Amino acid sequence: MSIVRDARPAGREQVVCHVDEIPVGSHKVVPIGRHGVGIYNVAGTFYAIANYCPHEGGPLCSGRVRGKTVVDSERPGDSATVREGEFIHCPWHQWGFELATGTTTVKPEWSIRTYPVRVMDQHVVITA
Amino acid sequence: MAITEIHERTAPPALKPIRVVDSDVHPVPRRGATLEYFPEPFRSKYLLSHPIGETITYDAPDYFYAQAMRVDSFPTDGEFPGSDPDLAFRQAILEAGCDIGILEPLAGGWYNDPDALHAAAIAMNRWQDAVWLSSEGNWHQRWRGSVSVSIEAPEAAAREIEHWAGHPYIAQILIKAEPRPSWGDPKYNPIWEAAVRHDLPVTCHLGRGQYDNLPIPPVGLPSYNHDFMVTYSLLAANQVMSLVFDGVFDRFPALRIVLVEHAFTWILPLMWRMDAIYSARGSETGLRRKPSEYVKDHIRFTTQPLDYPEDRLELARAIEWMEGGKILLYSSDYPHWTFDDPRWLVKHLPESVRDNVMYRNGIETYHLPETVPALEGQTQVVF
Amino acid sequence: MTSHPDDSIPVIDASVHIFFDGAADMRSYLQEPFKSRGIPDYEMSMYGAPGGEYAPGTQHPDGRYPGSDPEFVGRHLFEELGVAAAVLHPMSKGILPDRHLNSAVLAAHNDMMVSRWLESGTYRDRFYGTLRVNPDDIDGALKEMARWRGHPRIVQLGVPLQSRDLYGKPQYRPLWRAAAEAGLPVAVHIEVGSSVTTAPTPSGHTRTYAQYVGFMALNYIYHQMNMIAEGVFEELPDFKVVWADGAADMLTPFIWRMDTFGRPHLEQTPWAPEMPSHYLPDHVYFVQSSVDGPADADFAGEWLRMTGKENMVMFGSSYPHWQLATVDAFPPAWSPEQRERVLWRNAASLYGIDIAAHAGGVGVSGS
Repeated sequence: MSIVRDARPAGREQVVCHVDEIPVGSHKVVPIGRHGVGIYNVAGTFYAIANYCPHEGGPLCSGRVRGKTVVDSERPGDSATVREGEFIHCPWHQWGFELATGTTTVKPEWSIRTYPVRVMDQHVVITA
Repeated sequence: MAITEIHERTAPPALKPIRVVDSDVHPVPRRGATLEYFPEPFRSKYLLSHPIGETITYDAPDYFYAQAMRVDSFPTDGEFPGSDPDLAFRQAILEAGCDIGILEPLAGGWYNDPDALHAAAIAMNRWQDAVWLSSEGNWHQRWRGSVSVSIEAPEAAAREIEHWAGHPYIAQILIKAEPRPSWGDPKYNPIWEAAVRHDLPVTCHLGRGQYDNLPIPPVGLPSYNHDFMVTYSLLAANQVMSLVFDGVFDRFPALRIVLVEHAFTWILPLMWRMDAIYSARGSETGLRRKPSEYVKDHIRFTTQPLDYPEDRLELARAIEWMEGGKILLYSSDYPHWTFDDPRWLVKHLPESVRDNVMYRNGIETYHLPETVPALEGQTQVVF
Repeated sequence: MTSHPDDSIPVIDASVHIFFDGAADMRSYLQEPFKSRGIPDYEMSMYGAPGGEYAPGTQHPDGRYPGSDPEFVGRHLFEELGVAAAVLHPMSKGILPDRHLNSAVLAAHNDMMVSRWLESGTYRDRFYGTLRVNPDDIDGALKEMARWRGHPRIVQLGVPLQSRDLYGKPQYRPLWRAAAEAGLPVAVHIEVGSSVTTAPTPSGHTRTYAQYVGFMALNYIYHQMNMIAEGVFEELPDFKVVWADGAADMLTPFIWRMDTFGRPHLEQTPWAPEMPSHYLPDHVYFVQSSVDGPADADFAGEWLRMTGKENMVMFGSSYPHWQLATVDAFPPAWSPEQRERVLWRNAASLYGIDIAAHAGGVGVSGS
């Protein structure tokens, strides 16, 4: 494990893990806050979202990441899924939230707390 | 020579007052577990010789992965959610904080032979007793069970009710909503008779169905799971109107009905509608009382799935107007995906009805005790 | 017929049912080969009301069929009741399995309505019309619309509530598209006569008439939710539907249900991406029924406001049926503004009826 020398995490920033612990397409729940925070690696970009669904308090990060369905009249069944892996769906009532923003287009006011995430020296740093 | 025996004096288990009665928990048999209870010749004819796979239509979101269940309720042994009594106990009783869970097994199999349906009900009842209501399965005394019956075979159903009546952990009779005709038909009398004789409520849980057993709407087929399941409540509305206008509650003044998972906010305008029709049609209906009085005295509705508008105050008002404190029963529907956590649900009830809806109506409906043995580590739902 | 004292609010009756005066009258509007076909009468055998279908006072003294004489009906509505304008809705002989015959029968009703009620008679300037079209014959329906295109007194299309499939399905879309383009709402009403249809409830038959009446109108909810989920309102922003058998009260709990339960399913219906309740305003309307609630409850005004029903409900007598609705049966707890909307504003706005041209001192006044 490398030692951070010149660029130390600032403010309420926390180093949560090494980037190799969260390969592309996977996630890890870290013990921050009351319910934990899920760190997701979506095609190389990291997102952090509270592990708590605002609907009934379900364990959000136990759910499946999925894409978004759009109309596509060229395909049989008239639908296609785009932006795979960019949405997390609560394992209880399947409410979907965009990992990047914690919200959805259908009801923007029902959102989940997200946290700024960055990679510094091969470590995932979140501001929480 | 006298032998003195020394016994450790053990303190009786601490009791806690019941604060949450969950009117809908779904136990599911492990694969093959009901086989030994299935009477012949049906066991050989249907179960052993006719394997079937997935039969889902009108699929819930992400069905291939979630199977219409809470994804965190799948046991680790590869069996289906609700098949592990320990996991169900942990999640529904300890974590959610429900004090009593009313078990509603959904008797599998859709057969066209009423005798086969009856056999399936028998199997379900025996399995439920062996796995969930035995001294082992119910060591904590938190489960109560249902006598599943097939209303397609009313005389046989009445015999099955007789068989289980008096069991200390049986709380109700369980029927499905879909079979035709609707409940006002006199052919169902043996079931209502047996129910009132043993003072057991008759509870109806929706069963969906297959092929023409689905409650196909008169005006066409819904396309998706949501237009299907949302409009499903019209089936229950029709059953309520049949009970009322066919005079079932005049025939059986002590009959009690519970509608589970059919939603409930629709009963408010339906009561107005029935009362207006009763008022307009007069003596033709032959009823002794207003329809809404029959509903409030004889029918109960579970809160799950809770449907609400953006302005929660409208829901609170609707609950007051329908006398929700009288007619509602809290339920979770564990382990289905539409599960309502009691801590969440209670916040949506007007304060004046919380005690009734969360436990008092349940105690009254199912003839429960006021207290149960306390459990260490159980969530206390505070309200 | 009174409402509040000192009240002279104009009234639009959004649903008056009209009929031919007997089978011979109807056949006089048909041509061969349909003139010689077997066509049922208006009465419903199994589902008709015990004691008679029509309200007292609607029988013509000469024995003509209720709702068949424009002079008699007009005198009752406009002189006795002081109604300003009325939207006529021809009832037909049933959902006939031969769609060609059905379309011909509906066209005969349209011809009768226009010639007898809209273009002649004392009250032709007070009557507006519903053009009956056959959803089982989309090509024929579009041709019938073209035949009457631009008629100044036709304000909507009429289709039956009974159907072989829900109205969100694709086979009906060309009809809704044409209606939206023509600026014509579509009124949906229970068809009378001898329809070849399925049983009226999801449990099959009813043993009582009360249960039939209680349930039948509620079938609109199946259509309404399917139309939302199939994206009818998403595709056609100008499309409007009128549920002409009432039961607007049921919309509130069912749209709560559709929003709550429907939200996670939106992934399955990308052609209807918004919350279901989003599609209600300016799209959905009702003719008030006399068995709608909540009568004299003190919260009736609050209830009408929920789900925006106060902008959807229109007074309609459903003359001459036994369930005749009257303006003096309005819930007393409705605000004056709500009364006005239901009495005429919602209908005037929906149908483009210029109330000033009709009201001119005529209204429902206390006496």
